[in-house]
Amino acid sequence: MSYLSHNKAPSKDAVRQLCADSFPSGAPESWRLAESTAGTLSVSAIEAKELIAALHTLSHHILFHNLTAPEQILVLFPKSFHPSLKILITKIMLEHSPTWRNEALSNQISLPHLVEMDWRVDMKTASDSVSRMAVPTCLVHMKVEDSSCLRGSGALSSVTVELSKETLDTMLDGLGRIRDQLSVVAGK
Amino acid sequence: MLQLQFTKDTLPDSVSNDFQNLNKFNEQQFTSLTEILFNFLLEPKEADRFLHQLSEFAGENGMSAGPLRNLMKSLLLLPHGSLKKNLTEDQVKEDLLTLGVSEGKADHFSQQWSLHYPVLSRLAVGQTLMVNQLVDMEWKFGVTVGTSELQKVGNTFLQLKLVIRKGNSTENVYMELTLPQFYNFLHEMERAKASMDCFS
Repeated sequence: MSYLSHNKAPSKDAVRQLCADSFPSGAPESWRLAESTAGTLSVSAIEAKELIAALHTLSHHILFHNLTAPEQILVLFPKSFHPSLKILITKIMLEHSPTWRNEALSNQISLPHLVEMDWRVDMKTASDSVSRMAVPTCLVHMKVEDSSCLRGSGALSSVTVELSKETLDTMLDGLGRIRDQLSVVAGK
Repeated sequence: MLQLQFTKDTLPDSVSNDFQNLNKFNEQQFTSLTEILFNFLLEPKEADRFLHQLSEFAGENGMSAGPLRNLMKSLLLLPHGSLKKNLTEDQVKEDLLTLGVSEGKADHFSQQWSLHYPVLSRLAVGQTLMVNQLVDMEWKFGVTVGTSELQKVGNTFLQLKLVIRKGNSTENVYMELTLPQFYNFLHEMERAKASMDCFS
């Protein structure tokens, strides 16, 4: 990180961009990023890679421990670090924290997420066993993120389910119990 | 040709004869046979029990089981067809009279029909085709305490497992919902139920 402070005035925007670019999980391994950074800062690719790794570690440390006060972050820098650069980096990290936190939350491992849901109520009027009837039935269609694909890759799998009136009533009982338990938990 | 309401097909002679042979039973025997028949209709899976009861009846009344079974097979055509066509008690009685069954027996049978009709029609409806029927739903909800990226989190999540009947086997579908999604799901299902209730 001392490379940054030794450099002749990298622009604030360059620093900001670098902090953002070094956050993603693939950043420390990316040679492409290292090379473009090396160009921007006039350092060697190896030095750039080390810089990116350092910024990556810093940003993830801040995120993990949920550091929100500048003082908490400033102490992380070595004592000899350029003061105004220290303050700039801290400011940038804090600015990005909410976005990074949301990103981490939405990317965490979980079961496939429900993306969309719609329903329809049909009336069955005849079948091979009864030639005249009037039986309502409910069809529910759910779009679920495909668990075998990467998050956000847009691959969705679809499932349509048929429920009789009794099944729907039972399901609502169950969902009602969930809601009651949730309000108990929320009330605590 | 007989004009029957429970079927549009021409009945084979053997079947017509079987119906007329019902008149050979006395009142008590006919009542027992009717009871055995309706027990089977109400629990169609109990085929063994049905045959066993027929054999017992045959033994007690000094007749061979084989012809009795055939007679019952013919007799079953009437309730099966009547169920399909949603026939009333009077219509069933009319058909029995047309087939040559005596007034007293026709009365008794059609009364039993009327008595058991609600349960029988519910059973028939229950056998109607359902596509991807939801068989079971399991759920759990919890709180995410921390992740590899964030030491302290506090998000509530809900996990659902839906068991769906696909043909002869079942398939499990797992999914996760956030709280807002859960409340939306609940709201939509309540709307669906309200819609279904309008029709019943």
